[in-house]
Amino acid sequence: MAPPGIAIAVPNNRYSPAFARTARLCLAFARVGFVNTLAFRLRYVTGIVTYFIYVSVYYFIWKAIYEHSASIEGFDFAHLLTYIGVGWIIRSFYFNTIDQDLAYQVIEGRLAMDLIKPVNIQLMYVSRAAGESVFRLALLTIPTALVLFLVYPLRLPAGFGHAGAFFVSVILSFLIVAAINFAVGTFALRLQSILGLMRAKFFLLELFSGLLLPMTFFPHIFQKILSVMPFEYISYVPMLIYLGKLNGGGLARAIGIQIFWVVILMAIGDGLWRWSTRKVIIQGG
Amino acid sequence: MPPIIEVQNLVKEFRTFRRREGVLGALQNLFVREYMTVHAVDHISFSIEPGEMVGYIGANGAGKSTTIKILTGILSPTGGRVVSNGFVPYRERRHYTKHIGVVFGQRTQLWWDIAVIESFKLLKEIYEISDQDYQQRLDVFSEILNLKEYLHTPVRKLSLGERMRCDLAASLLHNPPVLFLDEPTIGLDVVAKERIREFLKEINRTEGTTVLLTTHDLSDIEELSRRIVIIDKGRILFDGDLEQMKARLAKYNQVKFFLKDRSQVPRLAQIETDGIVCQRVDDLTYVIRFDRGEHSSANVIRQIVNTLQVRDLLVEEEPIEEIVKRIYLSGEVI
Ligand SMILES: Nc1ncnc2c1ncn2[C@@H]1O[C@H](COP(=O)(O)OP(=O)(O)OP(=O)(O)O)[C@@H](O)[C@H]1O
Ligand SMILES: [Mg+2]
Repeated sequence: MAPPGIAIAVPNNRYSPAFARTARLCLAFARVGFVNTLAFRLRYVTGIVTYFIYVSVYYFIWKAIYEHSASIEGFDFAHLLTYIGVGWIIRSFYFNTIDQDLAYQVIEGRLAMDLIKPVNIQLMYVSRAAGESVFRLALLTIPTALVLFLVYPLRLPAGFGHAGAFFVSVILSFLIVAAINFAVGTFALRLQSILGLMRAKFFLLELFSGLLLPMTFFPHIFQKILSVMPFEYISYVPMLIYLGKLNGGGLARAIGIQIFWVVILMAIGDGLWRWSTRKVIIQGG
Repeated sequence: MPPIIEVQNLVKEFRTFRRREGVLGALQNLFVREYMTVHAVDHISFSIEPGEMVGYIGANGAGKSTTIKILTGILSPTGGRVVSNGFVPYRERRHYTKHIGVVFGQRTQLWWDIAVIESFKLLKEIYEISDQDYQQRLDVFSEILNLKEYLHTPVRKLSLGERMRCDLAASLLHNPPVLFLDEPTIGLDVVAKERIREFLKEINRTEGTTVLLTTHDLSDIEELSRRIVIIDKGRILFDGDLEQMKARLAKYNQVKFFLKDRSQVPRLAQIETDGIVCQRVDDLTYVIRFDRGEHSSANVIRQIVNTLQVRDLLVEEEPIEEIVKRIYLSGEVI
């Protein structure tokens, strides 16, 4: 009955270390994210204008506030302007829409297509978002930076060492945001609509990441509470590094904590994914 | 050789709660929920040998997709045992899915916004396909399925038939021993269907791929598989050879004939004896259906040509659709 040459499950015979395999896969997903964004490149022209307007609004607000004082909480006007301007520039790189992507995947009933693929789903979404971010770096982040540096008196990084640490820190910011978004997105599997959750997360990030104002501007108790949360490691910490306000041991510690949060948040995301898919697998999509 | 897929007493129940209508109903829903249990799959057992092609059919809501979802590991059964390719699908999903191919006709597993070839490259990494195997299979598949023109088009711009062919190629790039297809020919034109069938036959012949497919188009089954499993309300009604089923269950034969001209029409009454009835198709075309047990085709034809002047005449078996319709309607195990 059976024809010749029956294929039976065989372990993959192309040996390569697990790490190299994972790296290749991430790169492949990042490539797709990159290519995918290529289709929507026009969107970024308006993006540059939007970012310019945001920063301009803050420029005028803070200019008015600094009329009466030379320094607030250790920031003079030039510092603060740089803090805000560069903060928005890096935001154009580290933000991503993984939560929304997952929500759409659920709404459009395409979750099964993720489930039949033998990959770590978080890795897939995060890598793809990384590809998108790299694309945005070229088409949004760098042009926005050029415009803002030309128009406003933004400062350069405190030094070469700080510039290097700043880049590392921003990449970690991306990973923190990606992990948070993935974790939020997994709730779509159980709740169907996560619009409210996504909005709550949005405000949490805008406020507590330090994007709008440095953490030192918050009341003291707030600062204490926020310091044990991952949010300020998204924008506040990289900006402190940029401005040279973190040095030596403090800098290393800050980056260490960023790495810690990446690991923890990704582990939480993995757990949430498993918990959510269990329901789908038992109850049907 | 042991079976590659074994399903024993498989049960899948869905618990849904009945939603009451209106404002009052909605309020009531908040406090008292009335649960209903749907028995989507109700004690199904079958096994499939390596290299077999099996057609899995049934009316809407019979439980076909549910069975396929359990077999692909994206749904867990409420009861019973499933082993496919040495794995318990829902328990070892991530490892298991490496060794199967899946096509859900209603959805695409390709990435929507990127060119087909980009999706293929991604699958190459996901399934760790060697460069050589990948290139070779890609060449063969694009040849048989005629994909060359679409490889650089984003999936969202493809027509249904074009997309389905790409999906099929995608599901087989890693040369899985088992292929699950849920309505792979849904909405396709005759030529596209033919292409897909030829492709499946070819893969089955050369690679020995085991194929389980669901469809509502019974000609898929006639073309592809000798074995057919019919389910209804989650239970198996028939599992066996297609030809045997026809031989056992075909009740009628029919003769279709074309009259020479209208002058013949009044004479039709002369052959309508012994429970033979002429059904009109159009002015000059008529069909006689008769019980295979009571009349022989030869006799019926003799009657027709002796009495009437006909231009042409065709003898047809009862179409499989008719047989299957009877099975669905009776809902009884045969
Ligand atoms: N997630 C779910 N929750 C509740 N009921 C479900 C769910 N999925 C399927 N069902 C029910 O289970 C039964 C079988 O559904 P299934 O999709 O397996 O049918 P099918 O044979 O594939 O039908 P079709 O030919 O229409 O595709 C149906 O009555 C359906 O309503
Ligand atoms: Mg179905």
